[in-house]
Amino acid sequence: MSITISNVSKSFSRYPALNGVGVEIQTGELIALLGPSGSGKTTLLRVIAGLEFPDNGGTVSFGDRDVTGLSAYKRRAGFVFQHYALFAHMSVFENIAFAFRVLPRRKRPPESAIRDRVATLLDAVQLTGYEKRLPTQLSGGQRQRVAFARALAIEPEVLLLDEPFGALDARVRKDLRRWLKEFHHRIRLTTIFVTHDQDEAFEVADRVVIIDKGVIQQSGTPNEVRKNPANDFVRDFLDLRQ
Amino acid sequence: MLQEKISHKKSRKQALPGFGLTLGFSLVYLCLVVLIPFSALFLKTASGGWPHFWETVTSPRVLASYRVSFGISLIAALVNGVFGVVAAWVLVRYRFPGRRILDAIVDLPFALPTAVAGIALTALYAPHEWLGKFLNPLGVQVAFTQLGIFVALTFIGLPFVVRTVQPVIQDLALEVEEASACLGANRWHTFRRVIFPALLPSILTGITLAYGRAVGEYGSVVFISGNLPFKTEITPLMIITKLEQYDTSGAAAIGFVMLAASFVILAASNGLQAWHNRRHGIS
Amino acid sequence: MAGSSTIQLRNSAPPLRATAESPVAKGILVGITLVFLGLFLFLPLVVVFQEAFSKGAGAFLRAFQDPYTHQAIWLTLLVAAIAVPLNTVFGLAAAWSLTRFRFRGRSFLVTLIDLPLWVSPVIGGLVYVLIFGAQGWLGPWLRENDIRIIFAVPGIVLATVFVTFPFVARGLIPLMEAQGIKEEEAALTLGANGWQIFRRVTLPKIKWGLLYGVILCNARAMGEFGAVSVVSGHIRGKTNTMPLQIEILYNEYHFAEAFAVASLLALLALITLFLKTYAEWRAERQLREASL
Repeated sequence: MSITISNVSKSFSRYPALNGVGVEIQTGELIALLGPSGSGKTTLLRVIAGLEFPDNGGTVSFGDRDVTGLSAYKRRAGFVFQHYALFAHMSVFENIAFAFRVLPRRKRPPESAIRDRVATLLDAVQLTGYEKRLPTQLSGGQRQRVAFARALAIEPEVLLLDEPFGALDARVRKDLRRWLKEFHHRIRLTTIFVTHDQDEAFEVADRVVIIDKGVIQQSGTPNEVRKNPANDFVRDFLDLRQ
Repeated sequence: MLQEKISHKKSRKQALPGFGLTLGFSLVYLCLVVLIPFSALFLKTASGGWPHFWETVTSPRVLASYRVSFGISLIAALVNGVFGVVAAWVLVRYRFPGRRILDAIVDLPFALPTAVAGIALTALYAPHEWLGKFLNPLGVQVAFTQLGIFVALTFIGLPFVVRTVQPVIQDLALEVEEASACLGANRWHTFRRVIFPALLPSILTGITLAYGRAVGEYGSVVFISGNLPFKTEITPLMIITKLEQYDTSGAAAIGFVMLAASFVILAASNGLQAWHNRRHGIS
Repeated sequence: MAGSSTIQLRNSAPPLRATAESPVAKGILVGITLVFLGLFLFLPLVVVFQEAFSKGAGAFLRAFQDPYTHQAIWLTLLVAAIAVPLNTVFGLAAAWSLTRFRFRGRSFLVTLIDLPLWVSPVIGGLVYVLIFGAQGWLGPWLRENDIRIIFAVPGIVLATVFVTFPFVARGLIPLMEAQGIKEEEAALTLGANGWQIFRRVTLPKIKWGLLYGVILCNARAMGEFGAVSVVSGHIRGKTNTMPLQIEILYNEYHFAEAFAVASLLALLALITLFLKTYAEWRAERQLREASL
């Protein structure tokens, strides 16, 4: 599923978070939205997800479907939150099964099918056997993977990750980065992740979109950006000054 | 290209559902329960005409009731300010058997119906009962005097200071007190110069809240006060008296004055809380 | 805002020794506190129960056989049964709209919700008399259609609703603000509609805060005196609630009977305190766990 963002602006009580942003993402790409804090990258991700709506004029399209006014639950965009936002009072199983449980009755699969699907998803994130645990009983990395599995349960066409590894320590981060890249290679789902860590962006992503102060500074493959930084900001941010 | 008609609104504002429904319901409820009745108060006051308004709110008996309601409430609030801080300090900093129960009981004035408190206090201090029989021979009459009103209003306002100050004491960084001790200050000095200034905004807020509550209090006071005109009549009672005399615009007039006073106290409390928040770095 | 109608996060770590008062000072402070709280809180409570049984257990039980007292108890329960659910629905709606969305005028609404706590309960009754009373706006129309609001049960319900509507909202708003909306947003991306989000995600998170608010709302609804006194007309057997009945019995020098009824409300107060403390503790724990 390709994503097209055109002329998106968003202000929060006079604070301009995004300013006329436009980006095109091809099906199956793994994109990093890279920028310092306050650059607008999370806001852009949330606009794509349908958790924020752009101010008048901007559009968001999935494929050739205009989803700008569509509510989040109609967009089928899987979202993984920065601090996972797992349902604290539900077990791992129930967290992942949630997407099935809220389907309208006629679309809802029978209990046995739900169990199978959850088992498959847990296997994909290597957490088989953790069904009955509560989020408080999991480590940070484990919670992260449950959040992944939960987002994948809706069979999304697009996967959106908000600083997915930000709250983890260095070793776990490295492992999960590798895992994400390999996972994406297997599944080929259009994926966008937000980060402020340039090593992470350059190591994992097919293409990097650099954003600052609500404006896109540059977009290209890691090599392209390193070889030809578009402006001073990019040069400074990536520490490319000679 | 098909467009989804149902929820397709360009530049819709809120992502989570239910905004219109919940806000709409809340506003309707507030209008019916609060705004419309209170506008009736304003309009009734106005419709009575200025001369009647002025005459009512400045009649000697009503003026005396202001002295009682607003004056004694202030004293009660101040007393609560002093003893409430002590109680809050003891409950936070010390450990002793029964502390938890004592802590829970502080909220009793919130949970106990005012009429029950009223008759209990009267029974406690009436001339031949409980405490009254000790105090009376000493010449201290509590029931049916202003002293009794003071007791009732202190009861009513007690939790406000304690509960406002407790969390602040809890958040006091012990390091600051330790630093003060290391610099040579004894405990009293540390209290006076370090602890007390940190607590002051919350103490004042608590006193203001207690004051606001005491000014409007009715049930716990009317039994022990004896309701002697010019001596122990409280302003809410004046409103009821006017209603019983079918002088609704007079009742509305006094109600208006009380409401205005409440707003002033509320504004003072909000101002103090803002000061408190600024002091503690909360935005 | 202060006062015990909002939940506060409290930790209870014992203080270090390095900065403690001398034992003498401690003793004095504890002593002052015990005397102050004992005098103003414990004694009145003890008095209620003592006086209720002052003529013996038999007289205590007989007090409840009075048909007027029966009616009063029944009316109190009825009023609470109407006012508390209404205000709970309002509290949930208000808390949802005020904590899940940003809009202009939010803080004004929050202040408006606090209004009954600042205003004398007598005024709470007065405003309804001004609308529905004989000389009120709707007075003539009501009389024409033979509808009684003031000096009848509907008036009592209205006055009680006014006085108690902040409690559920105030129990929920700080809690829901502190909890944030990320879980609700996650549920939204997973395909849940509004009602599903509320039922499956929000409600389990807030259940202790909700209970806390409902308990306080109920205690105040059953015990309200000033506002109800204005609108009720004190008609024995018809428009007397328990607090009003207590007043009547007391003014007629039936002291033991008055205290007997009062002891029932005092018992309710103690149960309220107990439940409230428990609910508050559970809510704090839930809040702490969620932020791990």
